[in-house]
Parts: sequence; C-alpha cells; structure tokens
Amino acid sequence: MGTTFLPVASIVSSAGGRDGWMIVLPAFILGIPYGLMVLSLLSQFPNKNLLQVSEIVFGKGIGKLIGVLYILITGYFGGLLLGQVGDIYERSIMPLTPISLFYLGTIILVFYLCKSGIEVFARFSEVIFPLIILALILNLTLSISRIEPGVLLPILSEGVMPLFWGGLKVAPFVMEYILFMAGILAFLPTDMKEIGQLRREVWRAVFLVGILDMFVAFTQILVFGPFETTRIVYGLLVLGKMVEVSRTVAGVESLFLGVWLGALVIKISAFLFTVVWGLETVMNLKGLKWEIAVCAVFMGIAFGFVRGSVLISEISFVDNYLILPFTTIWILGLWGTARWKKGKNIRGN
Amino acid sequence: METRRHQKVNRIAALILIVCLLFLPGCWGKREVEELAPLIGVGFDLGKKPGTFLITMQLAKPKQGGGESAAKIEDRTFSVEVASAREATEMVYKISSRIPFMGSLKVIVIGEGAAKAGFTDIIDFAQRFSEFRRTMYLVLTKGKAQTLLNIKLRDGELPAMSIKNHMEQGNNLSTFPTVRLGHYLTIIGSQSTAPILPVVETIKSGEDGIEYNNAKEGKELHIQGSGVLRGDHLVDYLTDKETKGYMWLENNVQNCLINTMDDKDKVSFGGQVLKSKTRYKLFDNNGVIGLQYQIQASISVDEVMGVKQQLSEPEWVDLMNQAETSYAKVIQEECEMSIKKERDLSLDFLGIGRLIDERDPSYWKTIKDQWEEKIADFPLNLNVQVSVHHSGMSSSSSTTND
Repeated sequence: MGTTFLPVASIVSSAGGRDGWMIVLPAFILGIPYGLMVLSLLSQFPNKNLLQVSEIVFGKGIGKLIGVLYILITGYFGGLLLGQVGDIYERSIMPLTPISLFYLGTIILVFYLCKSGIEVFARFSEVIFPLIILALILNLTLSISRIEPGVLLPILSEGVMPLFWGGLKVAPFVMEYILFMAGILAFLPTDMKEIGQLRREVWRAVFLVGILDMFVAFTQILVFGPFETTRIVYGLLVLGKMVEVSRTVAGVESLFLGVWLGALVIKISAFLFTVVWGLETVMNLKGLKWEIAVCAVFMGIAFGFVRGSVLISEISFVDNYLILPFTTIWILGLWGTARWKKGKNIRGN
Repeated sequence: METRRHQKVNRIAALILIVCLLFLPGCWGKREVEELAPLIGVGFDLGKKPGTFLITMQLAKPKQGGGESAAKIEDRTFSVEVASAREATEMVYKISSRIPFMGSLKVIVIGEGAAKAGFTDIIDFAQRFSEFRRTMYLVLTKGKAQTLLNIKLRDGELPAMSIKNHMEQGNNLSTFPTVRLGHYLTIIGSQSTAPILPVVETIKSGEDGIEYNNAKEGKELHIQGSGVLRGDHLVDYLTDKETKGYMWLENNVQNCLINTMDDKDKVSFGGQVLKSKTRYKLFDNNGVIGLQYQIQASISVDEVMGVKQQLSEPEWVDLMNQAETSYAKVIQEECEMSIKKERDLSLDFLGIGRLIDERDPSYWKTIKDQWEEKIADFPLNLNVQVSVHHSGMSSSSSTTND
C-alpha cells in the first residue's frame, strides 16, 4: 500500500476528471496477474529471488544487467520517497523544521528496520497497517459533511479513454509492490499449500488496497470537485485539515500525519530491502557497511530534491517511465521464458 | 566473535540514539501559544495605490486574569496597505509583537471595491499556506471590509466571531448561503456556475424596521441578501427575497420561517419549514429541452391571524389547505424573482448549467459555449408543493366576533 493513497486522487482526476476514481481498482487489479506470475516463478525456482531467477533463465549477462537496473531504479525511487517525507512535513505542518531532520529521523528508523531483518519489518508493518486503515477510514468518514452534492455527475460523459490513461498512471503503484515481491521471494515458503495461501493473499492485498485507494480518490473528488482535486498536491492532507467534529475538535491533521509517516517508513524500508538484496545478489556486496552506504545514497538523493515540485514530478517520472515499463516487461518476459524453457525441457525429456 | 559483533552493534545503536536525542527533540521551530496572535478575521479592500490591497487582520488576544470571563477575548485589529497577503503578515507581526497564527481564521470579509476588482489573487495565500483551513467562511460587505471589522458590537463580541456565529447558525433560518472557502473554490472550478456570497452589513437602530436600545454603545450586524460573482468579480447583489429564492432552488433550505396571507388578504399564516427538498428534472417539450424544479416543503403553522370566528373542523381543514396554497405561492414568487435575476444578469448562479450537464451531458456539450447567452430564455418550470403538517397546539382561533 505504501503511500499510494496520498497522490492517487490527484493523479486519476487529472486524467479522468470526475470519473477518475473508477479506474483505481481496475488498475490495481493488474497487480493480480503479475503477483501470480511471480508466485509461479517461486514454485519453479524455490528460495531464489527474481534476480537470481533472471540469471538462470536469461543467462548471467542479461541477468546481471537486469539486476543493475533493479538496484538503480529501486534505489533511486527509495531516495525520492525519503525526500517526500521531508516535503510532506515541511509543506503541511512543520514548515520551520530543517528538512534534513525529517530525512535523518526517517532514515534512522528505516535503517534500524532493515538491520533488524525482514521479520521485524513485517511485524512493524503488521502494527502500522491497521493504524493506516483506521486513520484513512476516520479521515474519509469525517469528511462526509464537506461533500459537494452533484460533483460526481455526469458519469462517463467523456467516455472511457481518459480512464485508460488514468489507469496507466495508477498501474505503477502495483508495480512497486511487484518489485518488492521480486526481492522478498527468496524468503517465502515454497510448499504448494503455502504458495496457494500466498496466491490468495495477493488477491486480498490488491483488492483491499485498490478499494481503499478508490475510496480515497472518490471522497476527494466528492469534497473538492475534479478541478480542485487535480490542483491540490496532497489532497488527503488538506482533507485532514478540514476535519472538524462538532465544532470542537479540529486541527487533528498532525495525528493523521503521524500515521502517514508510518506508511512512508514501510515503503522506504521496502525499497531499502530491495536495493540491499539486489546488491547482495548481483554484486555479492553484503553486510552492515553496504546497508549504511545505501542509506547514505538515499539521503543524497533526498537532498538532491529539496524542491518539492521537482521531487513530485521526478517521482511521477520514475513511476511512469521507469518502474512501469521495467516491471511489466521484466516479469512478463521472465515468466514467459521460464515457462517456455520448462515446456521445452519436458518435451526434451 | 559473535559477542564482539553484538557489542559493536550495540555501540552503533547507542550512537544513533545519542544523535537522535541531540537532533530530534521535537521542538524545532516551535512557537509557544503565548507568542501567537490567533487570527480570527481578515478583510480585503482595495488599496489607495494601484495594485495594492488594504488588508485588515482581526487578531484575538485572550483576556488575562480574572474578571467576568476568562473566555473573553480582546480585539486587536490592524489594517495595512500591501501588495500581498504575506506582506501584511509581516507588517502586523512588526506591530503586534506576536506571530499571527492563521489556523484559527474563521472569516474572510471581502469589501465591495475588492470584490468588484477581483480577489482571487489576494485569497491565494489562504488556500495555499498550510496553516489555513478551507473551512473558513467567505462573506461580502457593501462598503469596506475594514469598516465592518472595526465596528464595536453592542455585545462586545469581535465582528469576525459574530459573523462566524451567524454563519454557523445559518441553517436555522436558511435565508442566506453559507459559503466556505473550499466550496467557493470548488464552484469556480466548475466554470459554468457563478459563485454567490452572503452580504454582511451593520444595521443602525431604526433601519429595516429594526430598533434597539441606543444607550448601549455599539452596533449590530445584519446578514441579508447576497452578491453574485463572475469568477471572482462582484457583478450584482441579490435582494433578500431573491436570495431566499436561490436557497429554495439550490435545495439549501433546511428550516426557515415563512409568512403569507390567504387569497383574500384577510388571514395571515406564520410558519416554519420543517423539511424541504428540491428535485430537478430535464423535460423535452417538442424538441425544446428545459429544466423542471420540483420543490416539496413540509411546514408547521405557528401563527394564524385574522380569523374572526371559531371554525368547525372541516372549515379549519379548508383554511389549512388555503395556507398550503398560499405558502406555495410565496415560495414560487421567491424562486421566480431569483430566476428573473439570473436571466437579467445572464449569470448562472443557480447552477442550471451543471444540472443540465449532470442529466444530459451530450446536450450540455452542444450549448455550453453559448450558455451565458442562452440563460435568458432557457425554459424553466417550477412546481411547488407544500404540505402543512400541523397548526401547533390548537386549531381554530382564540378570537371570536361574537
């Protein structure tokens, strides 16, 4: 899920206007075939991540090249997400705090999670995830009183093509998840019963996050109208500022922001893990010093994008032009080739 | 070997914790409450120099010490002529020695001059700077916003707080629209609909049939009517009745008070709207598309005057039926006045274009470019249905002729 709920409304409304919310779930569903492809590779190549699988299937040269691309893309994106922590806090509630403190505080937490291993990271996510869901539900339901009647109508007046383009902008969100899956694969159980359970979890995760993000986009378009939803950078933060309970409770956006920080930490940690796994697989670079080095690179990238508007357009660029094409082609190509080779081997025998 | 590694990790962890303690105490950029001056109201007028605005900031200063009530707040209102709202903050900060805190802003008052010249640029700060919330109210005033915010009210309340209280109670009377900044921005984003803002004025004793004890120093605020804008430029004002018509047509009436006379002008009925709903339907009359308003209101009759004899039950039922017809007539007249104003101004403050777009987007696409010209003769039908739920605690009348 990460922080997809922060930009999703603005992205879909810029492409699909008032109908933009409709494309969120279908675009997320694209993650199901890709998730199932990854799990099918898991059953074929147990205890190996997809970088190792790529080396087996495509050969060392191409496999290494894919590995390097994987490290560069996930590393760059992780650094940009770290920059987004500073951007969100500086923009919304703590404009006077030096941006470096947000980077430093977050990277320490992220490093600690990474250092403690995948199990601690999973437990951290297990604790934070329900809080994210609760905060989202609270934020959305407490915004009902601000709904502008009629802004969602007419439905599909511009046809379905704008939705298609909107879907292309949402699809990278699930591809980020697939990139993480590609790395964590080596830690997943491999017996058939548990792979069946993992398949069900892919469906569940995609639908849960897709539906939640759809409601986030839906509520923002209902409250702000399509034009304003596109214009507002982090609509959910503005929505949080508008929450008032019975004219007595207001200004609770900081509470929501605490939870969103948790979501960001999970996402950045996931990308730190992918880079660390990538370095270990492709270049055999492992150990504490390399984890610290990756954190330093993340910090460097974040410091390179202290200008918020540049950062947001860079995140969008990496999502649309690096993560989406790289993941769609790589996973599809890997799965297709692996199946073809498997079929060839069976026929050969 | 393993123990030594653990020690190394623990040392690093301790180092990280020390760094955190040093750099992340959580108070960076802190501002104590005593250093802040909560901003309650802002007024925008045109400045004397071209390209400048006269910005009036009404800051609250909580009264210290005992006395009547600790909740009372002192007024600190400053006006500065500046080119931007941020500049105004700087100047007020210099004068007041406290940092104006924007998160508490409740009301933005737009003076007539600024409203006519356009005010989107000057309110950009209020929708961009993160301290503000989009829930603040926007109001217009005939004359200067500075004057309005500087008046002394008879109850000692700050004008901005008084306007905010009026706005929050607006639904009880439904005689003026309550417009928050977020709603205004959504409306101007829709492009076809003209925004409308309520008008706040001061009222002197004796004006508009209202009198009050002049011995107590101060004035009273009065919210009545509204202003219609083209984008962010004030074009014209709506009268009280035209605004009420707008409220009916916009489905904004929750509860309101309503008075009427029977068709012979002998019996008057005072009542309260308990519930109201306005529905919209497009009709096609031999190829001519029009919009049908269907207003349904439930009313309780609280006052009957002019009945000179005791009425039997059937006669009372008949009288209440007459009341229903008369109430419907009043609502119809108010709506027609509002529609006439819309046609005269060729400005769609009733949002008819959006209603057409919602119901028949393909037809809307054919007319949207000439919509302002088409408003003048676009077919509109009104159907008002009123049902009197009850006539209070008694039937008939206490007055008799005999």
